[in-house]
Amino acid sequence: MYCMVHWLCIYLQCKLNAMNAENVKSQMRKGTLEYCILLLLKKEPAYTSDIIQKLQEARLIVVEGTLYPLLTRLKNSELLSYQWIESTQGPPRKYYQLTDKGELFLGELEASWQELNDTINHIRNN
Amino acid sequence: MKKTLTINLGGTVFHIDEDAYQLLDKYLSNLRIHFKKEEGSDEIINDFEMRISELFGERIKLGYEVITVVEVESVIKRMGKPEELFDTEEGTGATTEQTQNTSAKEKQTGPRRLFRNPDDRMIGGIAGGFAAFVGWDPSVVRILFFLLIFLTHGVAILAYILLWIVIPEAKTAAEKLQMSGKSVTIENIGKTVTDGFEKVSENVNDYINSEKPRTFFQKILDVFVAVVGTLLKIALVLLAILLFPPLLLIVFILVVVLFAIVFGGGVGILYSVLPNIHWGTLNLYPEGSLILASIATIIMIAIPAVVVVYMILSQIFKFKPVANSVKWTFLILWIIAVVTNVIFAVKFGLPFWGDWSNLSTNIGWQI
Repeated sequence: MYCMVHWLCIYLQCKLNAMNAENVKSQMRKGTLEYCILLLLKKEPAYTSDIIQKLQEARLIVVEGTLYPLLTRLKNSELLSYQWIESTQGPPRKYYQLTDKGELFLGELEASWQELNDTINHIRNN
Repeated sequence: MKKTLTINLGGTVFHIDEDAYQLLDKYLSNLRIHFKKEEGSDEIINDFEMRISELFGERIKLGYEVITVVEVESVIKRMGKPEELFDTEEGTGATTEQTQNTSAKEKQTGPRRLFRNPDDRMIGGIAGGFAAFVGWDPSVVRILFFLLIFLTHGVAILAYILLWIVIPEAKTAAEKLQMSGKSVTIENIGKTVTDGFEKVSENVNDYINSEKPRTFFQKILDVFVAVVGTLLKIALVLLAILLFPPLLLIVFILVVVLFAIVFGGGVGILYSVLPNIHWGTLNLYPEGSLILASIATIIMIAIPAVVVVYMILSQIFKFKPVANSVKWTFLILWIIAVVTNVIFAVKFGLPFWGDWSNLSTNIGWQI
């Protein structure tokens, strides 16, 4: 009986830890999402669906809906701009590209990413 | 056969089933409500609509002419359920938005009701429902219950079965919201509906898909539940068959007693009907109280008997639900009958207790 209670407690603790880890992971993913979008668009302008596909391949987002508000927000702060470009099938679609302001912003982000990376490496290695 | 609607989604015309339309409409209006505060909300919704239109277009190209619930569901799964989206939103959103959210959440809480939770169940959904009711983790409730079984030497299992019978299952979106104390608002219902739990309309009876697929262990439990449920039903029917004759006999005897006294034949008739019982003792009581006592006793026994038989038969046949007024009348009548009986027993029964016990041992219950 007591053995069982003990076992159950351990099980519960493991479950809680797993939940916390999941939470931290998703926070980290969220934090890097904007950075990744800007990085992708720096390489080449892209349709929304292309961005989604690449982010899903990189396992950064699970559902597409996360992206639309984010893109609109980036556009509203003038980091991105889009044109309506005809696609091979169906009506014209949004074709996003990085603005000059966006490129500056990306530079800042890259610097701070580098900093973060160095900090973590430093802590890990010492 | 289903009725279809024609919609314009992102500049393209689609034929869509009525139920699928409802689901999609709820999903979109739900998103609209959420993004209302944000700058460029129309644009965001437009993006969603364009993308959904694209996904539908791909489906149409494969030769499916009509959009059904299945397509809408897979699109919602792909785009993300409102909850998933809102969760990720909160991290990036401004702090003012967050405070607004929390105040809105406080408003949304209402009184909680205890239901069985069909979406979070191992056996009957009691623990899941209880967890939602008190706001705990379902696993904690299950573990506590598991311990209770040992501590109470299995009585908890009986309690579980009783709760199962008594507590209704949360079937509609509104009930599911009440279960965890959320008030029934359009936004909340939208959230639940787009979660895919909900039966969208009567046409799609199979469309009760719970969020998580059942694991192998849970499937075994389901089979176990089905078997035990059938056995219980059979046991109930057997019980009814066994209980019915004695109950009927008692009611019959009491009716005879009543008639005997009312229609003046007095105790004489009783001798001719059931000569084996020593009825003489009845003469010791005043006649009016005997009539009353008989009526009370008949009611006291007949009502539960009728209820038990009715409940068992309603398991087999589908009866219309009984009106509440009828239920209450029955209950009040029964309580009055019990009280009357207790009064008579105290007033007339106790002084003669010795006589009665002698009597019953003397005749040895020769019915």
